[in-house]
Amino acid sequence: MPSTIPTAPGTPQLEDLVMNLKANGTAGTSSADGTIANRAHYAPPWADVSIIGIAGSSGSGKSTLSQAIVSKLNLPWVVILSIDSFYKSLDEEASRKAFRCEYDFDAPDALDFDVLVDRLRDLKAGKRADIPVYSFEKHARMEQTTSIYSPHVLILEGIFALHDPRVLELLDMKIFCEADADTCLSRRILRDQRERGRDVEGIIKQWFSFVKPNFEMFVDPQRKVADIIVPRGVENQVAMTMVTQFIQQKLLEKSTHHRAALTRLEIGALSEPLTPKVHIMNQTSQMRGMNTIIHDIDTSSEDFIFYFNRLSALLVEQALNNIFFTSQTIITPQNLPYRGLAPAGEVSAVVVLRGGAALEAGLHRVIPDCKTGRVLIQSNIRTGEPELHYQVLPKDIADHSAVLLLDAQMSSGGSALMAVQVLVDHGVKEERIVLVTYSAGRMGLHRLTKVFPDISVVVGNLCTDAEERWVERRYFRC
Amino acid sequence: MSETEVAPVKCVGPEYRAESQKPTATVSTVVNIDNLTEGLNHLPTVSHTVTTPVGRPYDGLSFQGKIAGVSIMRAGEAMEQGLRDCCRSVRIGKILIQRDEETAQPKLFYDKLPEDIADRWVLLLDPMFATGGSAIMAVDVLKSRGVPEERILFLNVLASPEGIKNFAGKFPKLRVVTAFVDEGLDEKNYIIPGLGDFGDRYYTR
Repeated sequence: MPSTIPTAPGTPQLEDLVMNLKANGTAGTSSADGTIANRAHYAPPWADVSIIGIAGSSGSGKSTLSQAIVSKLNLPWVVILSIDSFYKSLDEEASRKAFRCEYDFDAPDALDFDVLVDRLRDLKAGKRADIPVYSFEKHARMEQTTSIYSPHVLILEGIFALHDPRVLELLDMKIFCEADADTCLSRRILRDQRERGRDVEGIIKQWFSFVKPNFEMFVDPQRKVADIIVPRGVENQVAMTMVTQFIQQKLLEKSTHHRAALTRLEIGALSEPLTPKVHIMNQTSQMRGMNTIIHDIDTSSEDFIFYFNRLSALLVEQALNNIFFTSQTIITPQNLPYRGLAPAGEVSAVVVLRGGAALEAGLHRVIPDCKTGRVLIQSNIRTGEPELHYQVLPKDIADHSAVLLLDAQMSSGGSALMAVQVLVDHGVKEERIVLVTYSAGRMGLHRLTKVFPDISVVVGNLCTDAEERWVERRYFRC
Repeated sequence: MSETEVAPVKCVGPEYRAESQKPTATVSTVVNIDNLTEGLNHLPTVSHTVTTPVGRPYDGLSFQGKIAGVSIMRAGEAMEQGLRDCCRSVRIGKILIQRDEETAQPKLFYDKLPEDIADRWVLLLDPMFATGGSAIMAVDVLKSRGVPEERILFLNVLASPEGIKNFAGKFPKLRVVTAFVDEGLDEKNYIIPGLGDFGDRYYTR
C-alpha cells in the first residue's frame, strides 16, 4: 500500500495553560545576539526527493505498476501521488455535463497543473505539501487535504504524468505504461463501475467521445519523452527490476550523502564553546542525588521511574524558562496589583519516540493538558543513519508560541537534527523550539546548535559522545 | 491600600535574549539575611560512586540522614503532596496553632510528631510566612523535642521581609527556603500584594 503520512486529527483545545514560572532573577545583561558563527547547513534525506513519473493510457495498469514498485521496495518513504487529485473543481455548467458523462476528463485541461507543479516543488524542497482531495462522485475538490511529507521517493502516476514540461523538469525517471486498447477499455469499465459509481453506457460513451481521441492527441505522444516504455505492466519482471534497482541506487546515494553531512558537522565540536542557548542543569546536590539513583545499575525499576519522573519535571520547568512570556498585571485578593507574566501563547510538545515518551510524565506534571505530537525516528542498524518513520503533529503547531521537543538522550544529534527539521518544515519558528533531553554529548549539541542556532536546549547532564540509549530501556523495561 | 507599585520590577527571561524581548515582572524583594536560601539542597550528602547500565562509573552522591516533614495546620498540609512527590515514604508530623482570640497571641492546640524526630532533619511546612508568629511557636515545639535549630528547614511559598528578619534574629542557625519574597505586610499583618488567605483559597474555594 502507498504510505501517505497522515496529519494529526484535531486534538482537544488547550484551555488553561498551566504555567509554572520561576522568574529568572538575574537582570538581562545584553545577550550575545548576532555573534553566532556562520550557520551550518543540514539537508535531511528527504530534501531531494526522487520523483518518478508513470504515464500511460487509462486502464494501462499505471496504479498497479506503482503499487508493485512500492511493495517491492518495501520502504516507508515511498509515496504514490495520483494526478487525479489535481482535477479542477467544476463550475455548475461543467458539473452538469460531468453528470451526463459529457465532460472531457481525459484532456490535459481538466487538470490543474499549476497546483501540481507547486506541490511537487515544495516536496522537492523538503517541505510539507497539502494535496487536494478530489471527489469523483461530486466532481469537486473536497474541503480537506492530505498532506505528504518527507518521502524519499514519490511516484507520480496519471495519464498526463509526463505532459507538462514543468513537471518533466522535476522528474528523475519517466516511465510510460503500454497496454492494448481493448485491455484498457475492459479494465476501465470494471473500475469505473466499481469505484466511481458510473454505468456501463456512460463509460462507453466517454471512452469513444473523449478517452480515445485524447489518447491519440495527448497521451500517446508522451512516450517520446519517456525513459522507459513498459509493456504488459507488472508482468514485466525485467522492467520492474530495472525500476526498483534504479530507485535503490538513488536511496543509497542519499543515505551516504546524509551521513557524510552529519560527519562534516562534527568539525569544531571540541574547540568551540557551547552557545548560551544550551542550558545544562545546575548540578545541585538534589540533581546529583537523583542522577546517582538514575545512573545506578542496581536501582530498582520502581525507583528508577520515580526519580526519572521527578527529574524530568524539573527539566520541563527549566525548558519553560526559555519560552516567551508577556507582562500581565493581576489584582490579588487584597486588592493590590501584582505584575506577573503570562505565556505568549499556546505551549505544546513533540515527543521523539520512543525515548522522549519517558519525559511525558514530567511534562504532564507541569502542563497537565499539553497538546503532544509524536515523531518516530530510528537509527538504521546497518548504517547508523537516522530515519523518519512516523510523525503526527498538532495541526496548528506553527501558531504555538513554544514547542518543547522531548527526547530522553541525544548522542550523535542525528535524530534531534531530524526532529527539529521536521518542526521547521511544519512552519514552527526556530526560536520557539526548546529541545529537552536528559543527557547529551558535546558533539551532538554542537552539531545541532550549528545548524539551528536559534533553538534553545535544556540538558539534564553532559555525557560522553557515543552514549548508548540506556535511559529508555530502563524506563520502559525492555 | 497603596496604589503605587513599590515591589521591585525587572525584565525577566533567558540571558541570551535581547532586553526588548523580555517582559517586565515583579521579582522577589531582596533581603540580605544569610539564612534565607533558594533551594532544597541543604540536606547532608556523601559521595557515592555507582556503575551505570552501560558499564561506566558515575561519580554521584547520596543523601545522609533521615528526614521528617512537619506541617503547620491547615495551610501547611497543602505542601505535603509536594513533599511526598519527592520522598515517597516520608514521615509527616502535624502541629495545630491557632490565634487565641483573647490575647491575640498564637496558641498551640495540638501536635503529633514522629517519636524519633530528634534524630531527623525536619522540613517545616507553611506556605505563607508573614510575621512568622505561628512558625516561631512551631520551631519552639520542635526544639523542645530535641531537634537542633540547624537541622530545621522552614519551607514556604511566599515570605515577607519582616518575617524573615524576625526569624534571623530569633533562630540564626535555622534555614528558610522560600519561592518568593513579597513586598511587605499591611496593617493587619497580611502579606501584600500577597495571595489572600492560603487555607481558604486552597481548601474551600
